[in-house]
This record gives sequence, structure tokens and C-alpha cells, in this order.
Amino acid sequence: MNWFIRRTGHALFTIWAVATLSFGLIRLMPGGAAQIMTNRATRNNPNVDREVIARMVREQIQIDPNAPLHVAYYQYMSGLAQGDLGHSHWAGESVNSVIAGALPWTVFLMAISTVAMFAIALSLGAIMAYREGSGFDLGMTGIAIFFNSIPYYVAAVVFIVFLGHGTSLFPPRGRYPSSVDPGFTVDFIGGAFHHAVLPSASFIVTGYGLLALAMRGNSIQVLGEDYVRVARLRGLPDRRIALRYVGRNAILPMYTSLLISIGFMFGGSIILEELFAYPGIGFYMFRAIEFRDMPLMMGTFLVITVGVVLAIFIGDATYGKLDPRIKSGDESEAY
Amino acid sequence: MSTQKPRHTEDGALYRTSDPIIEVRDAEVVFGMDRGVSRVLDGVDLDVQRNEILGIVGESGSGKSMLASAMLDAVVDPGRLSGRITYHPADRDPVDVLGLSKAELKRLRWEDISMVFQGAMSSFNPTMEVRGNFVETLEAHDYDVEAGLERTREILRDLYLEPERVLDSYPHELSGGMQQRALIALSLVLEPDVLVMDEPTAALDLLMQRSILQLLEKLKQKYDLTLVFITHDLPLVAELADRLAVMYAFELVEIGPTEEILRDAAHPYTRSLLNATPNIDSGLEEMRPIEGSAPDPVDVPTGCSYHPRCPMADETCVEDDPEFLRADDGHNVACFHWQDAEEAVPFVLDGQEADR
Amino acid sequence: MKPTDEGDAPEPRTDGGMFAGSDATQVTRKQRAREWFGEAVATPARIAWEDWRMKVGLSIIALFVAVGLVAWVSSSNWWLLDGVTLVEEPISNQGPTRLAPFENWDYPLGTDVQGRDLLAGIVHATPRMIQMIMAGAVFSSIVATAVGTVAGYKGGAVERTLMTLSDIAMTIPGLPLVIVLMVLIEPQNPWFIGIIITINVWAGLARTIHSQVLSLRENSYVEASRTMGMGTASIIQKDILPNLMPYVTVNFVYAARRVIYDSVALYFLGVLTYQGIENWGVMMYIAYDIGGALFNPNNVYMLLVPMIPIVLLSLGLILFSQGTDRLFNPRVRTRQAGETVSEEVDDSTTVVTQ
Repeated sequence: MNWFIRRTGHALFTIWAVATLSFGLIRLMPGGAAQIMTNRATRNNPNVDREVIARMVREQIQIDPNAPLHVAYYQYMSGLAQGDLGHSHWAGESVNSVIAGALPWTVFLMAISTVAMFAIALSLGAIMAYREGSGFDLGMTGIAIFFNSIPYYVAAVVFIVFLGHGTSLFPPRGRYPSSVDPGFTVDFIGGAFHHAVLPSASFIVTGYGLLALAMRGNSIQVLGEDYVRVARLRGLPDRRIALRYVGRNAILPMYTSLLISIGFMFGGSIILEELFAYPGIGFYMFRAIEFRDMPLMMGTFLVITVGVVLAIFIGDATYGKLDPRIKSGDESEAY
Repeated sequence: MSTQKPRHTEDGALYRTSDPIIEVRDAEVVFGMDRGVSRVLDGVDLDVQRNEILGIVGESGSGKSMLASAMLDAVVDPGRLSGRITYHPADRDPVDVLGLSKAELKRLRWEDISMVFQGAMSSFNPTMEVRGNFVETLEAHDYDVEAGLERTREILRDLYLEPERVLDSYPHELSGGMQQRALIALSLVLEPDVLVMDEPTAALDLLMQRSILQLLEKLKQKYDLTLVFITHDLPLVAELADRLAVMYAFELVEIGPTEEILRDAAHPYTRSLLNATPNIDSGLEEMRPIEGSAPDPVDVPTGCSYHPRCPMADETCVEDDPEFLRADDGHNVACFHWQDAEEAVPFVLDGQEADR
Repeated sequence: MKPTDEGDAPEPRTDGGMFAGSDATQVTRKQRAREWFGEAVATPARIAWEDWRMKVGLSIIALFVAVGLVAWVSSSNWWLLDGVTLVEEPISNQGPTRLAPFENWDYPLGTDVQGRDLLAGIVHATPRMIQMIMAGAVFSSIVATAVGTVAGYKGGAVERTLMTLSDIAMTIPGLPLVIVLMVLIEPQNPWFIGIIITINVWAGLARTIHSQVLSLRENSYVEASRTMGMGTASIIQKDILPNLMPYVTVNFVYAARRVIYDSVALYFLGVLTYQGIENWGVMMYIAYDIGGALFNPNNVYMLLVPMIPIVLLSLGLILFSQGTDRLFNPRVRTRQAGETVSEEVDDSTTVVTQ
């Protein structure tokens, strides 16, 4: 419990720090977001009073460029605390509603990618370890290293060009078929998965390699542990040794990689969703950058960060359940 | 399968005991390595007498762990074991251990001959409660789990452990001594006849070592066990063992009753070993480390493998490998000059050594 | 397991001079430096070179350094090199537009929509890429090492603050933060861009180093140095840094790959503005945004060609990092060096796991 409280505090503190950071970026940076917006508004409306422009900017980003620092900070943070991320002039609606429509799709994509990637990497790595030194092992190692050298967006481009437009096996853009109405129908859900294939594959193909190699290394190490030897001498069935001894103990150290790749994929969603025209949170962050829509940009940035913090928090909490050595409250956190 | 070693006396009686439970003949373990063949067990002949406690002593890297593994045909993988290992159950025909099928071998291990490794800390699955390790062993051998757990509790109590507390713990929640005792209990859960222990106390402090030795003695009586105790710690095992076997450079160099070895060790190596081992009563300055270093398994010296370090070595020792010679009843030694050893390598504190 | 397996990695005589005292220190310094070089650089380098991954990886990296030199020589205005042009700089209309690769050997990899030579683009974007990589990798390694060692060694409030900072930096997803910073700062200087991209890369390494320092601090030779009254800086430099080399190396490669991936992505997406073909990502941006290469099969090559150096350099870096395995894994290393393994054979299963 003590551990849980500490972890929660840690997560909240991180969120607070990121919010403060984004306030700092908007308000304090020379040519920061507030300044950029004020300048633009002044340029576009040369006749309007500075006070009015300041109020306009403040309405959009929750930060009054003319207010003293601590007041502005208070206003910004209390706005955030109430869940108000401001108004997006590009979307013509509140940042909240843009994000509400986009976030589930990004989470959907991330979940598929993460689960599939780890399933592939872990099983492949374990098989490679069992067949250490074989042709299969060497070939798979080579392929894993090569695929890992490809940036995910390069893979995405190749998939779009050759699998999407080339063969039209998989749709290269969008979240679901345009002919289908959203709802709990087979067509819609199937279509959504179909549309998620290429984006997820871009992450999986380029990301599984090092994970598989790490799993292979862990498994080889565990295979050499005394407890595996003792288990064999005790006559335990091979299957049990593979799953309960080698598998379980080799997977646990991979947890760090899982947490890191969640953050990595959330970040990568900006590029991937742009390439696949997949209106998730990254897609809107990209629009915000393109149109210099500061409230939307900072809002999506905050949401992505909070999402990663939450994912890591959940991951950490479940790790304690998986590894009994954590339960006793020692210092070894998952990452 | 095996031919009698010409190196050793034709008379097998030298290393034969009256009622052996395990017979090891010409056991050899070979590893193929980049720089040549590594022979880490070299033609060892040894009998383990039923219901005795046999201590096998040697420096690390002398092949003693290989000998232990060989008794269960459990040599680790690239290693190849040859020779003949025979297990003599009390109520069945002798078993040729190296000729067993996979299923028969599975039954032999742990049900007849069990083993405790050094490093109890790493012998339990770290992500499983101790109970799980017992249950899965019972299940794997089709034993009745409830009866088996009842027996486990009894053994744990014999080892002065609280059964439920230990069973419900994860390995890391137990102290080193507790883990070691739990591991001994795990090795006895299928009621084996023979327990082979490889450095079972190496990681423990002196006090814990002593108390585990006492417990082993007690267990041996109660469960009618034969114990093979492998260690580098000669004084420790001398307190426990009925007989001692000394290994050097992957061979057996001396074997005999404990009393006799301590009083009249016939091999210069054994004598040096007795001088080199720390005695609680003796000061640091009285210890004499053995000069030189243990030989490389790929490149064992010709003749007697101890000759580069032996103060008595002459040309015979360089050229010929000594056979086992009879020093006394049941006391054999592989040294040409064993009769001069007492003079060449005197005990540092003769009086004290003798009455240990 | 036996202590021999516990990863007491290459340990370049960190205890050297521990008992040297004041009088002997001066005499042995040079000697020690030579000894250190032998044990910390020469021998490991030889061992590492025996690994094929290291050979291939280093060759690829060397190739890019060579290409970078070619570009630098070609574009240099320094008087000796002013007239030397090995590869023309990529400019609009230097050749026919939309020329596919392998058709005209004046432009072996083809030209883009505005007639720029793609090969020239790859070559001339290389120096800036190398600058960015160096900046990012060096920056993150230095910050991480400083934060990790100071936190681990100082302890107390300093440790708590620094580790909390690392935790936060580690949690923030890198690319979005980098994009936001790029949008706000709009940097042009490649060194600066490299540093911004790795703005939070140091955190992971700092944590690793911190925990390593904590365990190293327990080690006797550090204790001894401390009792002898050596200063913190000197202890860190002599006793702790050499043991951290494996982690620093791995991080160096990781940071380098991050810089390649992210810088290309930033140019590709148009987040970073450009004056000329200053990054392979710019070539991709032109192909994607102007050439419509995603939808126009005839222009796909414009997108694929700049991907070749990206994948190749990344591959080289990964192979290099994998090749250091042998170096930093003492068990493998012992076997390679042909030392005796009788200990392992006798006492445990370690030999099996090679």
C-alpha cells in the first residue's frame, strides 16, 4: 500500500511538472506561444485595442499575456484542473471535444500495436533461445536487427505505397470504412481493425526486433540458472519449465521495455497518424503544428503525456502483482 | 562399455566396499572446446557404501562437482559422461544408470538419488511460492500431493522450520539458512535413498554450517539415507563423514576412513590440504597455502598430475601415472612415494591435527 | 551463482595506485596511463573487432564519415579546397526532372521533381547529420553521466532531486516534446537541433548509471580511495567512470539513432524548415509534399532513395552496439581470450550458455 501511495504521488507530481512545463513553454519562452498568438492577433487586427487582444488570447489559451506571472500560472493551472484545455481556432471547437473524439482511436491503435508486438517478440525470443546457435536463431537475429534499423515511418511509407495503394489489401488511410456508420456492428468493428493493420504493422515490424533479442538474451540467461537445472532434475515436464520457469522469469525484466515502448509509440503516433490520415490525437497535434494552433498543440501534448504517465502507472502497479519480489516493498521499481 | 583402466590395479577389490549403493567405474566427463578437449573427470572409480556419509573433498576446479553430477547422469549439456554408474537399490535389481531411458532416468532422479546444489538461493523458482516447488515435484512424479505435503511439513519441522510459514513464502523472503534447509527438504520429498550434496553450506556462515551438519546427521538416521557430501572445506566435512575421498586434477588421489585420513594422510596433496585449511584454533601465520595452481583441464600434466606442485616428485612421477596403492585397510592412495609423505610434508600442528 | 559470473565487466585497473601513496604517484602516472590504454582501449578493441557485427557496423559508420568528408571537401570554400568538388551540391534544375534511378549515370539515383540530383542530396546532407548525431549523443551522455554519478555519489537531497527530475524526463514522451520545442524555437544550427532532440534521452541512462554507482560505491576499492582522502571528482573519474563504459556506449548508440529518426521525421513532416537539401528528411518531404509520392507510383523512388542512408546508418549503429556485447559480457570475453574455464566447468552450468 505504501508503495502504491508513493507511486500515485509520483504520477501526480509528474503530471503537475509537465503542466508547469507547458505553461513555461507558452508563457516564458522568448517568442513563446502566447507571444506568437498576440503578435498574430495584433497583425491581423491592427485596429483592435491591446487589451481586447490580450483577452482574446487569454480565452484561447488560458494565459493572460499581460497578467503577472503568478496570476497567469494560477489561471492556467486552475483551467487545467477543471479540465479546460482552451479553444482551437483551427477546429472551431474546444480542444476538449477534439481530443475526446480522437483519443480513443489512438489508444485503440496503441493497444493493438503493443499487445501484438510483445506477443510476437516474446514468443520469438524464447524460441530463439531454445534453439540457440541454430540456423533459425541466426537468421531470425539477422532479420530482427535489420528490421529494427528501419524507422517506423519509413516502414509506414513502404506499407502505404506497396500494400495500401499497390495491392489495396489493406486501407492506407482513415480509421474505418467511409461507407459504414459508427456503431456496434461487425462491419464497423471489423473495418476499424482492418484500418488499424498497416499503422500497427509499421510499429510492430520495426519494433519487435530488439525486444525479441532482449527476450532471447534473458531466456538464455534463465536457461542457465540453477533453478532451471534443478527443475529438470526434479523431472518437471518440459512445458512447465518453458512456461513457468523460463518464460515467466525471462519476461519480467522486459517490463521496462514495455513501458518505454508505450511512451515511444504515443510519441510516434504524431507521424504515423499523419501518414495514414488517421484522425487520432497525434493527427490533431500535427494539424495544430501546421496551423500554429497553440491551444490545440499544448492540449494534445498534455494529453499524450498524461496518457503515457497513466500507462506507466498502471504498468507499474501490475508489475508489483507479477513479480513477488516487488511486493516486499523494496526499491526496485519497474524502470 | 567400459574397459578396466590399465592405470589402476587390476584388483578391483581396492576400491570396492562391502555393500555399495552406488558404484562408479571409470567415470569420465569430456567437454569439447575451441582449444581442445577438456577432460574434467578422468577415470574415477568409487564406491558409495550403503548408509554411509561420504565426503568428497577438492579445490574448486578439481572435478568434484562433475563427480556428483555423474552419479545422477546429470552432467550439464556439452559435457559427455562415459563409464559405468550402477545403483543398487535395497529391494530391486541393480540399475545401470547410464543405460536408462528418459522416463526411467526421471524416476531415478529425486525418487532414488536426489541432489542439493550449492547456492540454495538460486535453486528455487524466484517467482513461485516455496509450496509450488514441492507440489509440482510431487505431481511430476505422480505422488499423492496431500501425503507428500504432510511429509514435507514433517521434514521441515525436523529441520527446525515452521512448515506453513516456509511453504507460503517466496524464496527471497527466506534467509539463506532457511532456503538451504527448505532445499534439503525439497530433495527429500520423494523419499530418496541417496542424497548427493554439492557444497551445500558454502554460502552460509560458520554457525549455520554447523547446525546444518547436525541436522543432516539427524535426517540420515531418521530417513535411512546415504549421504555424499562434496566440499572444498576439509575440516567441515571431517566432522560429519565416515569416509573421505580427495580429488585432485579431475582424479581421485586418496580415499579412506576419515579418522585415518586425518591422522595418516598418505598423499602429499592431502597432507598439504590439511595444512592449508584454516583451523579455528590456528592463527593466520600457521596456514600454508599450497604452492602453484590447479591444472588446466585441457592440458593436465603428464604422469602424476600433482607432480608440478609436489615436493617429493621425481622422474617416475613425471613419466608414470601412479596407480591406487593400498595404504591400509580401505585406505588407498595414488602416489608412488606415499610411504615418505609423512616425512616430506609434515603436519604443521601434528598433535592438534590428530585429535580433531 | 559463483562470483565469476556476476558481471565484473572489464575492470581497467581501477585500483591502480590505490596504495601508491603520495611519493609514487607522479612516477607511475605515465605508466598507469599506458597501462590503462592497453587494458581499457587496445585489448577490448581487439576483442570487439573479432565480432562480425562490430566489423560490419564500424565499416558502415566509417563509410558515412567518409561520405561526410567528401561533402565537406566539395562544399568547402577554404582556399586549398575551394576548387575541389567531388560531388556537386544539389540545386534545382541541375539535371532533368523526375529522372528515375539507374537510367542516367550522371545522376545514378535519379533526380527529384525540381531536377536535383538525389545522390548529391544524400551526400551533402551527411555532414549535418553527423554534426547532429555527435551533438545529441555527446550531450545526452555527458548530462546522464553527470546526473547519475553525482546523484549516486552525493546522496541525500541532491540525489532525490536529480532522480525525480530523471523520472519526469523519462516519462515525458520524447517526440511530442521535441516537436513543441522545435515549433517554438525554430532552430537552424545542426548542433543545437541534435541537442534538442536528445533533450530527455539522458534520463534513462542517468537512472542506470545512478544504480550502478550505488552498487559500485559499496565496492572496496572505492571505499579505500575514500579513506585515503581522495576527492569526489577524482574518485568518480578513476574508480567509477571506467565501469560505466558499457552503459554509456549503448546510450551513445541509442541517442544517435534517436537523432537520425527524429531529425528526419521533423524535416519529413515539415516541422523544421530548410534552406537547401540539408537532411535526408528534406528529400522525403519534397517527394511526399510536392511529388505526391505516396499516391503517385512514378515518384515513389524519390521517397525510397533517401530512406537507404537512413536505414543503412541505423543498421550500422545497431550492429556496432550489438558487437560490443562480447566486450562487455565477461563470460564471453574470457572464453574468447582463451583463458582457463576449469572453474566454470567444475562449479556450474555457465559454459553451456554460450
